[in-house]
Amino acid sequence: MFRSRTQKTILMFVASGGCALASMYAGTGFAADAQAGNIWGAQIKVSRDDVGIERDGQRFPGLVGARLREKDIIRTGEKGSVGIMFTDNSTLSMGPDSEVVLRRYAYDSTTYMGAFDAYIKRGNVSLQTGNIAKQTPEAMRMFTPKAELSGTAKNYVVSVGE
Amino acid sequence: MNRPLIVLVLSLTVTACAHRDSYVLLPDRGGPAGTLTVKPTEGGLPLKLDQPYQTATSTMSGAFDQSTTNKQDVETRYRAALGATPPALVRFTLYFLEGSDELTPASKRDLEAVMVEIKARPVPDIVVVGHTDRVGLVADNDRLALRRAESFRKRLLQQGMADDAIQTAGRGEREPLVDTADEVPEPRNRRIEILVR
Repeated sequence: MFRSRTQKTILMFVASGGCALASMYAGTGFAADAQAGNIWGAQIKVSRDDVGIERDGQRFPGLVGARLREKDIIRTGEKGSVGIMFTDNSTLSMGPDSEVVLRRYAYDSTTYMGAFDAYIKRGNVSLQTGNIAKQTPEAMRMFTPKAELSGTAKNYVVSVGE
Repeated sequence: MNRPLIVLVLSLTVTACAHRDSYVLLPDRGGPAGTLTVKPTEGGLPLKLDQPYQTATSTMSGAFDQSTTNKQDVETRYRAALGATPPALVRFTLYFLEGSDELTPASKRDLEAVMVEIKARPVPDIVVVGHTDRVGLVADNDRLALRRAESFRKRLLQQGMADDAIQTAGRGEREPLVDTADEVPEPRNRRIEILVR
């Protein structure tokens, strides 16, 4: 079938998904919110198939109910998806093979002042902005490797390739 | 080597790997879509999306092209992410008897709908903010407002909800639903506002 070794090698590279390595995470079985105390900024409301949280170098399964905070990294596997609600009522949901870093999250529920920066490293993400952006649009920013997104938008979707 | 095969393989590789970023402004159910400003990391002019379904797509140069997509395309491409969106939050208001943390008879009946909404959610979290009318001292009303919110917390705890899933606050007479002069009794201001998330 293959006329040369080179062609075979190229095809095998494509078939092995050289550009789409599945994200792997190791579930430890510990509840991710056990050590979060009262400083959580968000909660996983929807979780399908493989979803993982990385916090301070440790990995946890991203189960429904798990709480999230600043600096957490959320990853979904090839069939995974996750829906997160923040304390300012904004939501962020991720499709498969996606990774988002919650770089900064702070929110004052009395004044609606806060800061919300996330880095969308790869995958598909849907956003609905909440009280932070309503109060101060530039206080909520999404970063991708190629751009910074902000504004008064209430709803948008982001697709980031690798 | 077989040139067509190589071209096919390379183009498949390029299609699969050189995935371009795209960002789409979506409509908002409650009002105007707002604007989404896309600032390229590589520098260059920002792109401003201000109509629903306007799209910014990355190019090889690091700049972004603007185009327009549609509802069907977005729903297909982002099906999994959109499908994982948490259920929308729901707001309720319950009213109280004057000077008391006891619900009015009508609100006692409405309580059922609130509980149904809470129980329908796998991991509900609740924000309860208490309010009063302007009868009495500000400090007393702060306490009464908080008592009203706390009475609802107690009810949820009795139903088995986790304490840390409920946040309460009292706003006293500062945020009336209906503006009145001081010392005017106003039943519509004696309330708690409940956010079920």
